[in-house]
Amino acid sequence: MSVLRPFRATDLFKFNNINLDIWTETYGISFYLNYLSRWPDLCCVQEAPSGRLMGYVLGKAEGSGLEWHGHVTALSVAPEYRRLSLGRKMMGLLEFVSDEVYKGFFVDLYVRCANKVAIKMYEGLGYSVYRRVREYYGSLGLGPGGRDEEDAFDMRKPLSRDPQRRSVRANGRDIVVSANEVS
Amino acid sequence: AALERQIRPIYDALDTGSNKSAIVSCNKLLKKQPNNDLLKALKALALVRSQKVEESLMLCDEVLAHRPMDDATLSAMSHVLRGLGRHTDVVKMFEEAFKAQPFNEEYGAQTFFANARIGNWKAAQLVATKMHKQFQEDRYIYWYVIAVMLQANDPATPENMKGLLHKLAHSKLMTSPTPAYVMPDRLYLHLTVLRELGMFDDAQKVLDHETGRNMYNASLVVDELRRELWRLSGRWTQERELAEHRITEKKDRNWLEFLSVLDATFSSVTSSSPVDEDSRAECLERITQARELFNRVAEEDGVKDRSGLLALIELEKRSRHHDFCQDSSELLSLMQKYWHQFGEKMCFFEDIQPYLDLDSDTLSKWTTFLDSVQPSYDTEPNLRRTINWYKTRRYTIPEAQITAELESERASEYTKAYLTGLPLGKSLPETELQPADDLALLAAHAFISSWTAGGGEAQLYNAAVVLEYGLGRSKQSYHMRLLLIQIYRLLGAPSLALEHYRLLHVKQVQNDTLSHLVLARASTFSLAATGDLTYPSECLESSHIYMSNSHETSDFIVRAFTQEKYSQVRFIPDLIALEERLDNSLQRDLVKLEHVRMRITHEPVNSELIDMELIELKFNFDRYHYDNRDIKVFSNYQPRGQKSTFEQTLLFKNLPGSGWLFAFLKIYIRALQHASDVDETVEAKLLIGDRPKQSHEPEIQRPLKERLAHRKQEELDQLTPSELAFYDFATVLGEWLEPHHDHIRPPPSAVLAEASKQTEAKTGRPLQGIDISADLPTNGHAKKDEEAPPVKDAPASIAGFFDDMLARFKQLVEGGALPPELLHVAALTQEALILFTIETLRFKPASIVKIHKLGALVASCKTIRTKAADVLKEMSAELTKISEKEGTQERRKAFVELCKPVQATGQIDHDFVLDVAKRVTDSRKKVLEGVAKGILKVTSVHA
Repeated sequence: MSVLRPFRATDLFKFNNINLDIWTETYGISFYLNYLSRWPDLCCVQEAPSGRLMGYVLGKAEGSGLEWHGHVTALSVAPEYRRLSLGRKMMGLLEFVSDEVYKGFFVDLYVRCANKVAIKMYEGLGYSVYRRVREYYGSLGLGPGGRDEEDAFDMRKPLSRDPQRRSVRANGRDIVVSANEVS
Repeated sequence: AALERQIRPIYDALDTGSNKSAIVSCNKLLKKQPNNDLLKALKALALVRSQKVEESLMLCDEVLAHRPMDDATLSAMSHVLRGLGRHTDVVKMFEEAFKAQPFNEEYGAQTFFANARIGNWKAAQLVATKMHKQFQEDRYIYWYVIAVMLQANDPATPENMKGLLHKLAHSKLMTSPTPAYVMPDRLYLHLTVLRELGMFDDAQKVLDHETGRNMYNASLVVDELRRELWRLSGRWTQERELAEHRITEKKDRNWLEFLSVLDATFSSVTSSSPVDEDSRAECLERITQARELFNRVAEEDGVKDRSGLLALIELEKRSRHHDFCQDSSELLSLMQKYWHQFGEKMCFFEDIQPYLDLDSDTLSKWTTFLDSVQPSYDTEPNLRRTINWYKTRRYTIPEAQITAELESERASEYTKAYLTGLPLGKSLPETELQPADDLALLAAHAFISSWTAGGGEAQLYNAAVVLEYGLGRSKQSYHMRLLLIQIYRLLGAPSLALEHYRLLHVKQVQNDTLSHLVLARASTFSLAATGDLTYPSECLESSHIYMSNSHETSDFIVRAFTQEKYSQVRFIPDLIALEERLDNSLQRDLVKLEHVRMRITHEPVNSELIDMELIELKFNFDRYHYDNRDIKVFSNYQPRGQKSTFEQTLLFKNLPGSGWLFAFLKIYIRALQHASDVDETVEAKLLIGDRPKQSHEPEIQRPLKERLAHRKQEELDQLTPSELAFYDFATVLGEWLEPHHDHIRPPPSAVLAEASKQTEAKTGRPLQGIDISADLPTNGHAKKDEEAPPVKDAPASIAGFFDDMLARFKQLVEGGALPPELLHVAALTQEALILFTIETLRFKPASIVKIHKLGALVASCKTIRTKAADVLKEMSAELTKISEKEGTQERRKAFVELCKPVQATGQIDHDFVLDVAKRVTDSRKKVLEGVAKGILKVTSVHA
């Protein structure tokens, strides 16, 4: 059981149990404030009844014309609250708002090509690889991951405004672009 | 146009941070056009950005005196003034520009924003009114309403004003020709106003409208407000029906919906008292309904979601609380079911913990049940179940069974369990956490509990070893790291604590919430006196966040007004809360004070240091503090009723809080004030920029002198016995010397004349706005009419302090105390000597001694100094001796010997333990040796 509620600016004081995890980056204050001020309904947290934060998602709406879509900037769950479908629930909310409120054509997100667990989860949620973005991430310096470590998959899922599924393609894994070609 | 072309590069230079070249370009152009205000403003901006405050200040005042009216100059000036911290002057400047050009909408908006930046909502509201009259734009109504609402929110606004302000906001909203509910962006603001006024029926009308309904169904932000409104107005039936609908039809598993059903179920017995029979009957019926609903959900979801089953448990708990059922068997069977279904979820223990406060009969049944399920380690889910088994079982250990021996035995048992479970995660990549981690943590927690119960430092060694071993296997386990930081500080191995802290990669806002881990009472371990500035730099680095905060958040507040969105109404107060909490962070001022304590050990104590720190500490003294430190990030697996692991591992068993801060602020402000020539009149003249917002507590209004002298119990409670002795020392010392300081301190006019002379030497012009009266005596010392105060004998307790501290120190050494205890006493003794220097600096020049006949006073000071030097030298020698022992092989051997419990199974081997032993003893040796050296250095400088 978890409370799903909007992300508040003062949550920055209590997200350490989530952000001390190495996969989660801590940005400057203005990064969060920018999201909270512009897309408040695409930013939410999951909270345990004890008041402890369990995870959060930060998203935005962007693109023009047929590229108008919801974007998942950060999705993170504290280690002790994994395997509870929290990520799934927050993605569900973000898709719902991108669809209902922003009327986007699709939702997309970036994930390290090496992060197999996450990719599998997103595929399970209906996402597919649209393209591979070269050197999107800084190296974690982990060694053997190689390209998969630094490259990202841009994964997409069409929304109700795109019944023809024009925003996705089958051979996405083969389409490679460089990081400066994407926003 | 020609000028424009010439000015362009200056802007470019400013944008790219090339302040030097901007200044050069400005100077060139200023030669041709010496009266151009824009050029002066730009130069002032480049100057302030290059930290040349005095020069910038001069130019800035010149431009301001001309009352600039053009966009470019105003904009440049607003940056200059903000850079100088003169926010009120920005308001004034735009106010005047707007007054002169009342049709200039931009100037109106800028005046509004300037007020918004400093939280001056009352003035902002007036500007908005003016703007609405002048420009007839709907949005200024909303600016007005938000400003009024924020004024009402301000803690400084008296209670009886608040209602009035809310009514004002409401009537203004009603003047808007377009009703709020047709504009989604304004609906939220409207609802907020109605909530404050308790106009729930009107609010309901807005919510019932189609726009309203769509909005609360699609936005968590609006839904939050809707839920609050319904709860406040007692619309429980509606609340319950909506929640049920969402749970059953939409499959919503937000726990908020379950809470709504639960709260609505018991609303008839919680909302009225005494409770009549009808209400009870109604409630009973609702309980049955809720049970049916939750049962259905629990069955439908199975192991997929915990909400249904947990809601049933909560329902049972509340039913018992309201005497609807006496029998605990249902609760027990639900909890057992929960164990079976969700026992392998990592959060099982956290989920079930609130329900474990059972009566002894039920508890023993629960324990019997748990004991009947045997832990196993064959799969990862089973391992997680085992971990939950241990955590849950541990939580209800009765107090009588918490002894040093039993806890140590349990720790060994957990260690064994950990090592048994460890192989399951063998193939995981290094970036993953190990599934058995929590067992290592449990072991460490139990060792710590054993230490608390009197088990000796060996328990802490074992805890450190088991955690180091765990971290070796699970490199990203920040829970282990956090605990190691605490333990290493307790053991007096600060360099290891700092090493682990750095590996946490704390950055940005985390500096505010986590730096307390290494910076609380950091002066105890500081080697600054020997030139090692590790801790002082850590203080400065962790404080950067506060600078960027004030810059960034106010920009967002202004931006929030320019993008009119419904959510901004919620966002602005949220933003203000964030800014307030960071600006007035307790940790910020704790770090500041800790920095001062270290700074004076390695920098010469002179008037510049004294004046600067005095002004800053006084600001902190006027603040209302917010404690943002994140304590909850620590895991806690101690049995119920015991202190948490975090509390048990606190250095000196106490976390410095606002009481500690105020006690130390009083010590330092009083001493610095004595030493400084800057009294309140001088400070008012010399201060650049606005004063920080003061606390609204009535106490602030009392004279500073009274506030400094007033001792509060809650402050004393946060001091260790040695700190309390230091406080007493400082008080007696201050009382003894104060009359002489007050008599000798030059009058404000003389101090200002001197300051002006110095500014002139620096910038070529005297200080502005300071009237140097002609009747100053030329020798710089104003004659005072009153008699010089008689020199009294030094109170015995001043020298006595040093004797007492030495006795305390020796006692600790003999008792085999841990190094931090010794360092604490030594560091405070050293601090007392430096404080003594601050208090007696004024009496140093021979001329002063002669004029004021202070011979006897100086002589007694000398005696005290000699006493302090003797004591400190003895402490230093003793610390050196101990440090030498720490570095020996015997010490390491003893450490390893004491760590037998964790080596029992042989998996954690001798070499591993020896390595930890080496690092701990080396770190101790280094800090003991360094502090000992530092003390000698300080003694040679100050005595």
